[in-house]
Amino acid sequence: MPPLDLPDGLVAIVKRDCPTCVLVGPVLAELRDRATDTVTIVSQDDPTFPEPTGGALDDRDLATSFALDLDTVPTLLRIEHGRETARIIGWSRDQWESFTGVSPLGSQLPPYRPGCGSLTQDPAIAQRHATQLGERALQARRLELGNDEDDAEAMFERGWSDGLPLVPPTPERVVRMLTGTTRDPQDIVAIVPPDLVECTVEKVAINAVMAGCRPEYLPVVLAALEAACTDEFNMHGLLATTWFSGPVIVVNGPITRAIGMNSGINALGPGNRANATIGRALQLVIRNVGGGRPGDVDRATLGQPGKYTCCFAEHEDAYWEPMHVERGYRADQNTVTLFAGEGVRGVVDQLSRTPESLTRSFAACLRTSAHPKLPLAFDAMLIITPDHLRVYEGAGWSKARFREELGALLQLDGNELVRGAAGIEEGIPESLADVTLPKFRDGGFLIAHAGGGAGLFSGIMGGWASGKMGSEVVTREIRS
Amino acid sequence: MHDIVNLESAGVPGVFVASTEFIDAAEAQARALGANPASVFVPHPIQDRTDDELRALADAAIDEIEAAVTRDRGGQ
Amino acid sequence: MTTLLDPTSERAATTRERAARPATLDGLTIGLLDITKARGDVFLDRIADVLTTRGHTVLRFAKPTFTKPAPVDLRHEISTKCDVVIEALAD
Repeated sequence: MPPLDLPDGLVAIVKRDCPTCVLVGPVLAELRDRATDTVTIVSQDDPTFPEPTGGALDDRDLATSFALDLDTVPTLLRIEHGRETARIIGWSRDQWESFTGVSPLGSQLPPYRPGCGSLTQDPAIAQRHATQLGERALQARRLELGNDEDDAEAMFERGWSDGLPLVPPTPERVVRMLTGTTRDPQDIVAIVPPDLVECTVEKVAINAVMAGCRPEYLPVVLAALEAACTDEFNMHGLLATTWFSGPVIVVNGPITRAIGMNSGINALGPGNRANATIGRALQLVIRNVGGGRPGDVDRATLGQPGKYTCCFAEHEDAYWEPMHVERGYRADQNTVTLFAGEGVRGVVDQLSRTPESLTRSFAACLRTSAHPKLPLAFDAMLIITPDHLRVYEGAGWSKARFREELGALLQLDGNELVRGAAGIEEGIPESLADVTLPKFRDGGFLIAHAGGGAGLFSGIMGGWASGKMGSEVVTREIRS
Repeated sequence: MHDIVNLESAGVPGVFVASTEFIDAAEAQARALGANPASVFVPHPIQDRTDDELRALADAAIDEIEAAVTRDRGGQ
Repeated sequence: MTTLLDPTSERAATTRERAARPATLDGLTIGLLDITKARGDVFLDRIADVLTTRGHTVLRFAKPTFTKPAPVDLRHEISTKCDVVIEALAD
């Protein structure tokens, strides 16, 4: 119901469940008789109240009370030319006499009584009202399911799912999701490929609900989408490639602890809601808003399970500076870093006690990423675990030192890489036989720290075609 | 109609043929299923018709049926 | 009744999309599914004759009862053997 159309004059808002309102009931009747102004009475809980005035206008839906932003009853308003020009609250004889111009007034009442809380202040009612307002503001098309439709099945049937069940995006859930951000629901977050659709915060929230996110994850999803939809990251190309890669989200900053992300045991595996649903929400936005569906634009030959979701937090309380600091952000900033990653594979080294030896292990394994004979073509991320990082800490190797030493070990002799070398036809052109080439381009090798405290293993996540050929690593700050 | 909706989900284009008596029910059913299957309606009644009459109904409906499951003939 | 908000770009209709239609029936296999209501077979026999005369391949199927959706096995058989399906005749 819309708010009541209040006439010019005096307007009193009351409720039966307030002793002060009961007390002023006879005063309102007295005002009706004596004031030159029109006196209108509005009741929040019972239109037959106050009895002395023969009842009141009905505001049990509180539309008028919310529109007036009341915090106390009784409230006495003066309306002129359809607008409120003054208000007083509670009962004070002096105030009421000067406000109404009727004196003496309520002489049988005590001179002062404080008012009671307006019903609009009841937390449950205020919450419900906020939800209703929020739902009215939503712009997305509404879909009324048929009576015989199962909601879970209906979402599969409409092609919204990645293959796993979805949480039904009801208006109530979407409004709750939107409380996770201060951004306007109609703000454009990004232009989402492949269909190049302007995507609003609201559409992201709908897909985040379906993915299973909590509202506090939404800012991370929004930042991840912004990063994914940059020219540099090249989500369109990543989607269309026949290669395995999909967007991998590394989250840094205090927010990872605040929303309970996992950077420890099984950080890349299942079990943590934030990790699992943030990555999935990004994929669902690309699928549903962008129109990027496997088999259509997504032409992956095999794909990989990380394309359902791949998101983890970096374990930052460590010897090496975290990824976002290395990339130019402050430690207290919250960021997402997007990497076009394929599946993770393990590196075993349980014997190296020196950084020199362990670095050689990493170099030997990293060299095989995509193909041992292909330099510069594919990026990679090393996910170093606490047990392996201790080796570097013990020897006092900084992250920069490790990068430098590793880079030197990954300078590859062209003679070993050319087509036909080692009896393998794959390789680089013959003309490059006398050139030394690095395995990774500048900026094409990422280092993350994560994982449980036990296990002398680290992880390598191969990338996709590097740089301008394919995808750049993109970091974005997470905004509230 | 469930069958056509299910087969369409499996990627098989379909049309279901019913008598005009069925138009309202078909619409309600389609709404309940959240679907919009192709349908062709032939004049009611059916069960008391002679064989010749039924064959005439089939002859009259065949082009519309074919159109409902092909692109060139106007189906979508 | 459940209300859901559309998670898509809203460029397509909200009802389930129909399966893509072939341009013509030439060279395709057409399934005729008899819902087994009385006299429907006469109608379907004629449809089958006309389609066969037009050079199309026709396969006949019948539901065990018109009161229930076709069993999963029958649906699967139709979907693997037929390119399009015509179901008749409800009255």
